[in-house]
Amino acid sequence: MSETPLTWPEGNDRVPYWIYTDQENYERELEKIFYGPVWNYVGLECEIPNAGDFKRTQIGDQSIIVVRDAEGGINALVNRCAHRGVKLCEQDKGSFNEIMCPYHQWTYDLKGNLLGVPFYRGVKGNGGMPEDFSMADNGLDKLKVHVRNGGIFATMSDETPPFETYMGERILGYYDRELDGRSLKLLGHSRQRIGANWKLMLENIKDTHHASLLHVFFVTFGLFRVDNDSRVEMDDTGLHTALSSIRGKQELNDGTAQMRSFDSDLALSDPNLLDVVREFEGDQTVVMQTLWPNVILQQQSNTLATRQIVPKGPNAFELHWTFFGYEDDDEEMTTRRLRQANLMGPAGLVSLDDGQILERTQEGILAHPDEQGVVELGGRDTDDADHMVTEVALRAFYKGYRNVMGL
Amino acid sequence: MTISPEQRSAVEDLINAYALAIDDNDLESWPGFFASDCLYKIIAKENFDSGLPLGLLLCDSQGMLQDRMEAFSKLNVFGPRSWRHMLGAVHVTGSEDETITRTNFIIFETLAGKDTHILCAGEYRDIIIREDDALKFRERLCVYDTTIIPNSIVRPI
Ligand code: FES
Ligand SMILES: [Fe+2]
Repeated sequence: MSETPLTWPEGNDRVPYWIYTDQENYERELEKIFYGPVWNYVGLECEIPNAGDFKRTQIGDQSIIVVRDAEGGINALVNRCAHRGVKLCEQDKGSFNEIMCPYHQWTYDLKGNLLGVPFYRGVKGNGGMPEDFSMADNGLDKLKVHVRNGGIFATMSDETPPFETYMGERILGYYDRELDGRSLKLLGHSRQRIGANWKLMLENIKDTHHASLLHVFFVTFGLFRVDNDSRVEMDDTGLHTALSSIRGKQELNDGTAQMRSFDSDLALSDPNLLDVVREFEGDQTVVMQTLWPNVILQQQSNTLATRQIVPKGPNAFELHWTFFGYEDDDEEMTTRRLRQANLMGPAGLVSLDDGQILERTQEGILAHPDEQGVVELGGRDTDDADHMVTEVALRAFYKGYRNVMGL
Repeated sequence: MTISPEQRSAVEDLINAYALAIDDNDLESWPGFFASDCLYKIIAKENFDSGLPLGLLLCDSQGMLQDRMEAFSKLNVFGPRSWRHMLGAVHVTGSEDETITRTNFIIFETLAGKDTHILCAGEYRDIIIREDDALKFRERLCVYDTTIIPNSIVRPI
């Protein structure tokens, strides 16, 4: 492949394709973004309710153990033995009292402190660790953790601003709307691998108008459509976005008339799927938050979920979905959430379209790093919008991205 | 309770015919494999083993099967592909009125212009009953082992 000039075109309304395909840029992203001053989403408290419960997750390319200790605190530890580097934990989730490496049996407590080294004092006067070996200096690498209303975030950098400052007041308002402090009830997981750059997933959620065109299911049943009452809001950096919308009717108007996929005759055989009840303040039926850099926190009708984005090199990412409700949900509500979960995930009535189209995007741009995409819908500015016929969230996002990456 | 050789072979026919219909992309016939009161659920082994209820796909009525079928055939957007279900031997227990089976499956998926890959591997856990003089699934749980689904599942499995 020819040497790519890694430059950014003038203005906010073009996005160069090399940012989705270039290996060196990917490596810089790991350093500057995922291992840098950001709060990475690593899970929900309801996944590890009891002392000793752990889950394995990933930040960038690194494997991370998230574990609840005896005092109820949550720790995020790099999944790598301090002795010779063995990956300590292979299971996706489980429970343990201490962490023991099978290779030479170094053991750690649930905070990552080194507890024991076999043959520490030697055997029959032979061997053993040197006098000045420090147990305290040879624990697991620990990340800083922040928990807010059941959501767990971790950072590797000392320069990361406090979580509240990092999210900004406005995004926190949306965050707290869904994670409002009630205990969460875990409903389950699903995971998929999509052959596309990780940023395309964030863009897909920030790209408000595609839902009206690509997703025939959404369009037909008015769940999310350009003619709905909507808002697109960003934080000061442009990196976090909250997009909210109110469900529209199945009617023909100047918006729906322009959507080739709109079919006003389609009806569900079992309307239970869309038996939506209002459960939050306000009329919004959809709130999709992209929280920089790696999670989508979403409400679509009564289905609530996080989608964690795990990058896998420039050309692929994994999407780890976690669906949840509230501990105080009655059985009817749980059933409703589980039925509506059909909209989302790797076989989602709407989200399966996204998995397919993102891979096609990657395939389309792969051989064209010097070309660029057009993001001019709704103008060339980066200001909040009170409708969704706009690509403003993408423009704001790339303004923020360029800042972070020094581009 | 014993199950007659006739019942056993009828149950195997049902399970084979189902896989064939999907591989042939004959989705119209899909809801007809289920009883009027039915449950179809694709569930990750991870969820199944920990008692978590979330399905990757859930239909708990004939109407929902119908709606899914319509969505897969008309509404969703995905590229052309072929599927091959490979089924293991059918393990049969229960009674003639309510036959319980477990059958391993692997689904190979071939996308136009790409290599064949394994979409998922797992096990069908079925409850089969007789309705209108034909065998139907009252319950079909598709428990899949595959931790990471390659992209998406664009048909019933
Ligand atoms: S590598 Fe873990 S104890 Fe030696
Ligand atoms: Fe979408």
